Amino acid sequence: MSHGLHSLETCTYNGMDMTVLERQQARLKWQQLQNYGVQNNNPTELCASSVPQIQGFLGSSLGSGQLVEMKKPEVYLGSDDFPKFVNFSVAGPEFSASKMDLVPPEDAADYCISGTSSCQMTAFQTAVMNEEREDVILKKMESTTGRESFSKRKAEAVQDDKCKDKRVKGEVEGESEVKTKCSTEVSRNSSKENSKASEVQKPDYIHVRARRGQATDSHSLAERARREKISKKMKCLQDLVPGCNKITGKAGMLDEIINYVQSLQRQVEFLSMKLAAVNPSVEFNVDNLPAKEFPAYVANFPAAAKSPAMANLACLQFNPLQKAVSCMLDATMHPPQTATEGIASASVSIPEQALSSSCITQLQPFSTWNTDPRGLYNVYNMGFH
Amino acid sequence: MSPHHPNPSSLKSRFTTRFLRALTKINAQNPISSSSPREILQRFRRIKVAADKSMAYSVRSRRTWSRAMRWKLRSRSWRQASSVRRLKITTSCHQAIMKKTAHERENKTTTGEGVGFGVQTDELRELVPGGEAMDLCNLLDETAHYIKCLTTQVQVMRKIVDFYSP
Repeated sequence: MSHGLHSLETCTYNGMDMTVLERQQARLKWQQLQNYGVQNNNPTELCASSVPQIQGFLGSSLGSGQLVEMKKPEVYLGSDDFPKFVNFSVAGPEFSASKMDLVPPEDAADYCISGTSSCQMTAFQTAVMNEEREDVILKKMESTTGRESFSKRKAEAVQDDKCKDKRVKGEVEGESEVKTKCSTEVSRNSSKENSKASEVQKPDYIHVRARRGQATDSHSLAERARREKISKKMKCLQDLVPGCNKITGKAGMLDEIINYVQSLQRQVEFLSMKLAAVNPSVEFNVDNLPAKEFPAYVANFPAAAKSPAMANLACLQFNPLQKAVSCMLDATMHPPQTATEGIASASVSIPEQALSSSCITQLQPFSTWNTDPRGLYNVYNMGFH
Repeated sequence: MSPHHPNPSSLKSRFTTRFLRALTKINAQNPISSSSPREILQRFRRIKVAADKSMAYSVRSRRTWSRAMRWKLRSRSWRQASSVRRLKITTSCHQAIMKKTAHERENKTTTGEGVGFGVQTDELRELVPGGEAMDLCNLLDETAHYIKCLTTQVQVMRKIVDFYSP
C-alpha cells in the first residue's frame, strides 16, 4: 500500500483525475469491507461496518468525494483496523497526524462504542455528528502544518465543480484561499455555483475566492490579501512583545511595539554605559575560548576579576558612575539644566548594586514605563536618593 | 553546569564573540586610569557603537535593517576620519538615498497604504534602522527581527555586566 500512497500523494496535485480515482478506490474498499462483517456485533467490527455506511451516507448526502475522505481520519481514530483505509484517502502522512492531534480522543470512543443497535442507525448518527464537526475541523485545518496539502486538496474540490486550473502562489495566499473557501463551505447551501466565486484568470497570480457578499474586483482582492498578510504579521509581533495579549486593534499594538523597541534601545544604551564604567581593568581573553561556552568561559576570568586592583577601582567608580549617568541623562533625555547640575554636584555615594538593580528593575516592566522623559528622569532621581 | 547556547553559530554566540573582541580592543586602546566622566562618556559611545556594530555584523546583511545600520556606521566612520572630498561624496550619496526614500514614501502614502496607521508607522520607521524605505509589510518583518536581535543584545550585555560588577 505504501507505493500506492506515494503515487496518490504525487498525483493529488495534478488534476481532477485523481479525485475520481480516489473515489473509485474508496468505493472499492467499501464494497470489500462490506463483505466482511456486517452482521457482527463486535465494537471494532461495528466500526468496520459503520465506516463504509458512513461513507455511503456522506457520499450520497454531500455529493462530494473529497469531504468523505476527509472524514475518514476522524472515524479512524477509534480503531486500528483500517490503516490502509486511511492511508490512501489522506493526502499525506502529516495530514493524518495533524488530524489526530486535533480531534479529541473522546470522539473516537463515540464511534466504536455505538452499542448493539442496527448498523444503519449508528452510521446515520455518526454521519450527523461528522457533519456538525465538519466546520470545526475545517477551521482547525487552517492552523495545522498540513495547510499546504489541505489547501491544494480544497483546490481540487473546487476543480471538480469548476474544471478550472488553479495554482496557489504561496502559503499566505493559500491560507487566504483556505479561509475564504472555508467560509463558503461552512455556509454551504449545497450550491457551489459560480455566482459566489470570482477568480482572477491570470497565470502565476494570486487566486482568491471572494466571500459571499464582498466585492470581487481584482484590486480589492489584492488589497484584502495584503491586509491579511499584515494582520498575520501583527499577530507574530504580538507574540514577540510581552504583555500584548490584552490589546486589540492595530493602533494600540503599534504603540506597544514602538514603546518596546524604544525601551530595548534604551536598555542597550544603559548597559553599554555600565560596561564603560565598570570594566576598566578586566581582560577579555576571547581568542582562547569557544563562544558556545559563554558562561563557562566568562567564569574563567575570575583571576582577573578578583584582582586587588579591581577592589580599589570599585570604590572609585561610584562617583564617576553617578556623574557619567547624569551626563548620559543630559545627553539622551534632555532634562532641565538646573536639576542636572544638582545631581552632578551631589556626592552621595551609593552602592553600585543598588543603582543597577533599581534602575534595571525599573527598566524591565517596560509596559508601565511611559515615554515621557521626565518619568524616567524621576526613576534615576529615586536611585540617587 | 550545561552550556546555555549549545549552538555555536547562533546569533547569540556570534554576537558575544564579536562584542567581547570589540570590548577588548576598546580596553586596550584607552588607559585604564581614566576616571573622569568625560572619558567614560567617550568609552560609552565607543562601546555603544561597538555593540551596534557587532550586532549588525552578526546578522550578516541578511536583513534590511542590518544593511542600513552597517551603512550608517560606515558612513559615520568615514565622516569622522575623512577629507572634505570624501565628505562631499558621502553626503551627496546620502542625499540621493534620502530623496529616493522620500519619493518612495510619497508613493506609498498615495497608493492608500496606510490603513489608518498614520503617525505610528512613521515612528516605527524612525526607530528601526532603514525603515524609511520599506513598505508596511516588510517593515513589520524587520521590526520582528530587530526586536529579536535587540533582546539578544540586552541579554548578553546584561550577563557581561552582571559578571563583572562586584
